[in-house]
Amino acid sequence: MNPYVPTPDVLPIPATAPLFEALLHLTFLVHLLFMNALLGGGAILLGSLFARGGDRELHEAVIERISKLLPTLFAGTVTFGVAPLLFMQTLYGGFFYTSSILMGWPWFATVPLLIVGYSAIYLNSFRGRRLGGGRRWAAAVAIGCVALVGFAFSNNTTLMLTPEKWSRLYFASPGGLHLNLGEALLWPRFLHMALGAVAVAGIMLALLARRERTDARLREALTRRGLDVFLAATVVNIMIGFWYLLALREDVSRLFMGGSGHATGLLGLGTALSLVLLLLAWRVRVVPARSLKPLAWSTLLTLAVMILMRDAVRKGYLAGLANLHEIPVRTQTLNLVIFAVLLVAGITTVVWMVRRLLAAPSR
Amino acid sequence: MNYPVWELPMGGGVLMALVSVLHVFVAHLAIGGGLWLVVAERSARRRGDAALLALVKSQSRTFLLLTLVFGAITGVGIWTTAALISPQALLALIRAYVWGWAMEWVFFIVEIAAALVYWYGWERLDARTHQAVGWIYFIAAYMSLVIINGIVTFMLTPGGWLENKEFWTGFFNPTYWPSLALRSAAAAAQAGLFVLVTAAFLKRGDARAEEARVWATRRGAAWVAAGVAAFAAALFWYRGALSGAIPDWADLAAGAIPVLPRVVALMWAGAAATFLLALWPLAAPRRWHPAGAVLLTASALVLFFGGEWVREAARKPFTIHGYLYTTGLRVDQEPEVAAAGVTAFTRWRDPAAATPAERGRDLYRAWCLPCHTRDGYNAMRPFLGHRTEAEIVDFLPRLQHMRARMPAWHGNAAETADLAAYLATDADRGAAVFPADRDAAARLAWDAHCGTCHTLDDYRPLRPSLAGNTREDFEAMLDMLPDLAAEMPAYGGDPVERGHLLDFLTGAAGADPDRSAE
Ligand code: HEC
Ligand code: HEC
Repeated sequence: MNPYVPTPDVLPIPATAPLFEALLHLTFLVHLLFMNALLGGGAILLGSLFARGGDRELHEAVIERISKLLPTLFAGTVTFGVAPLLFMQTLYGGFFYTSSILMGWPWFATVPLLIVGYSAIYLNSFRGRRLGGGRRWAAAVAIGCVALVGFAFSNNTTLMLTPEKWSRLYFASPGGLHLNLGEALLWPRFLHMALGAVAVAGIMLALLARRERTDARLREALTRRGLDVFLAATVVNIMIGFWYLLALREDVSRLFMGGSGHATGLLGLGTALSLVLLLLAWRVRVVPARSLKPLAWSTLLTLAVMILMRDAVRKGYLAGLANLHEIPVRTQTLNLVIFAVLLVAGITTVVWMVRRLLAAPSR
Repeated sequence: MNYPVWELPMGGGVLMALVSVLHVFVAHLAIGGGLWLVVAERSARRRGDAALLALVKSQSRTFLLLTLVFGAITGVGIWTTAALISPQALLALIRAYVWGWAMEWVFFIVEIAAALVYWYGWERLDARTHQAVGWIYFIAAYMSLVIINGIVTFMLTPGGWLENKEFWTGFFNPTYWPSLALRSAAAAAQAGLFVLVTAAFLKRGDARAEEARVWATRRGAAWVAAGVAAFAAALFWYRGALSGAIPDWADLAAGAIPVLPRVVALMWAGAAATFLLALWPLAAPRRWHPAGAVLLTASALVLFFGGEWVREAARKPFTIHGYLYTTGLRVDQEPEVAAAGVTAFTRWRDPAAATPAERGRDLYRAWCLPCHTRDGYNAMRPFLGHRTEAEIVDFLPRLQHMRARMPAWHGNAAETADLAAYLATDADRGAAVFPADRDAAARLAWDAHCGTCHTLDDYRPLRPSLAGNTREDFEAMLDMLPDLAAEMPAYGGDPVERGHLLDFLTGAAGADPDRSAE
């Protein structure tokens, strides 16, 4: 037993652990969708902003459409990031806090980075063209900040899995200046996430193109651009996925190689899905008028599988250290019901507001 | 004890305070400002005042940026910082209140979505729907407060929760309602502040725009004045509830905790300045000026800073009052620690620590660093410079008797020796220099010794016992302190220091009013 793993908290959790896990995965899925659109969309935006050649008109269309959306995507990313963080801390708080403290400054830096990134995104969106050449840099700062925050998260979520490294880091320097750069898992994990975001954003761009009812040429061009991005990113990402797999600690990678039916099944499903995705994307790429729905839904499914795989990795690393079923439970039924009712009412309200907004003609 | 302690030169508490004050400042503004926007929009539409409507619209853009970018992200920042500074407390708060946080999160989503729809909807939604969205924003924002207020007050006055650990018992705790009143008043004042600041910096337009600006300025000023007045009134209610929940509150406010009286004064000063400054735009809205807006913001910040600091200071030595110490130790674990010693409860011990001072360093990090720094906030060095190792050994078991409300030190003899060895290393002691000015030197000698536990006139007052005694009496007294009260350590100052302290005591005995500070 590693002596630096904190003693589990004595306070019970107010519902069974699987319920919190379900909430964690569900809210994380929504967070991922927003985050992918934000980070990946931002990357596509930068591509168009910094492109020298190519179809100028298409670049402009990409820039305008994405810039307008980014502030809302940022808000969505943050609001839906809070919930999985909450549920993750409910279950794994001790591990997460320790690694956060070792990373004190870089971890704290996510807060100013978010503020700067968010401000730059609004600058790009509200001032836009009026910034002239400065616009590229506003966008670059914004997306750079978002990527750095993502990188900090990758560092922290890997460091929390390896308690055996903690004490060496802390006693070498207790001032919280560490990252987790020595971790084999770090780069494949971060790159897998980041490229996945770019791929998903490609699909979102293609979906966005469907709203161009008047200009068929633009619609096709945007669709193609989105799918090109998706295809390129996904091909590379499949390879990074294998790198990730190889970088896993041996006992954990064995789980994915037949050691655990659950983990192996997920891996098989994930691999199969990514091939299906390539195929589906290619079909629409060739004939842009084809429906995007099968591709979009399969992507969502793939994201869900990835989340479960990520969870299997975490459970593998923390096997024997974090046993969720051992956390004492004292169910608060009333509060659970209140939360569920509020959630339904809240989502209904949001949907109502957004629909009214989208239904209204732009005056 | 369970987690490593982040070594920050200025102290973790300072970072936490910085983030919290900024967040709380904007968060109250985000609540009150929402109300202002809908109320002002309705007024403008009823009167068909296009200039006023334009003004409200321009305010709503600033509002959007301020609340979303700054409000929401600093809110995330509080979580991030709390995880770094008081992980044990955060985990307990999450375990006990995860459903509360989850409910609050729903309101957070609605709030953010409504803020965006409200802004993007100015051109696209009909007037009725737009105002409905404004109300949705305000209600969701206020509901966030209704929930967070329960959890925040719980930390200071958990009341019956300590026995039954029931969610709603801790939620509707003894200070819930007065605190909600306080925060509601603060939100109204912040809304007024928002109006005044935006109005002051607005570009001057035609006559109608100017009329709209004056209209808004006057109302903003009224909101600030009324908000601060209501805040002050609610403060008395709050104080009553607090004294009920924390029986020795009167002692604390009287100076048991050295900084508290100053912080309370700071808060009142901020409130008074904010109120007075609001009278200017109330009386002469046309002459309201950006300089005034800057001053007003500064004084409101002082008010918030003071208020949050009072809450923090009153909570010492706990993060959850009566349940969890700042060090991460639960109150119910104390008997165990007292029996087994602190080492078993110090998870983060350096395997390479060999000497007493090195072992002491680990103890220091776990049990002192959560509240102290070397040279920054609550610095140890100035104090330690005036102590020998033997004296340190002597005072460690008496920490809980000091004015500062520290948790008791439960180290056994060996552990106490280790910690003292570390505290006495030159690197961490600093130098024991006395200023040339005799009065200042006398004051320092007092502060470093008797002043840590006594005041002259307020808390555990000494002046009455000193009065009428001579320097010789004091000489004798210093040699027999432990006989006067078991809580008192023996006095071991060197002759120089002793001289300064005797100066101070003789001065105080003569009731010299110059010396009666604190
Ligand atoms: C709960 C927080 C807390 C903890 C834990 C704590 N202290 Fe303190 N300590 C304080 C506060 C607050 C003061 C008062 C500072 C002031 O306002 O003058 C103080 C004052 C002191 C002073 C007097 C300094 C002075 O100049 O008045 C000493 C000495 C001291 N602490 C030593 C320790 C030691 C040694 C430990 C670890 C065993 C420790 N403290 C742990 C909060 C704490
Ligand atoms: C660790 C805390 C502590 C320190 C340091 C300390 N005292 Fe005390 N002292 C007490 C306590 C507790 C009592 C008990 C009486 C009370 O609670 O008021 C007391 C009582 C006394 C009394 C007698 C009772 C009375 O109230 O008149 C005198 C005289 C006194 N202290 C003087 C001093 C002087 C002089 C110093 C500085 C050299 C000093 N003390 C330092 C804690 C302390």
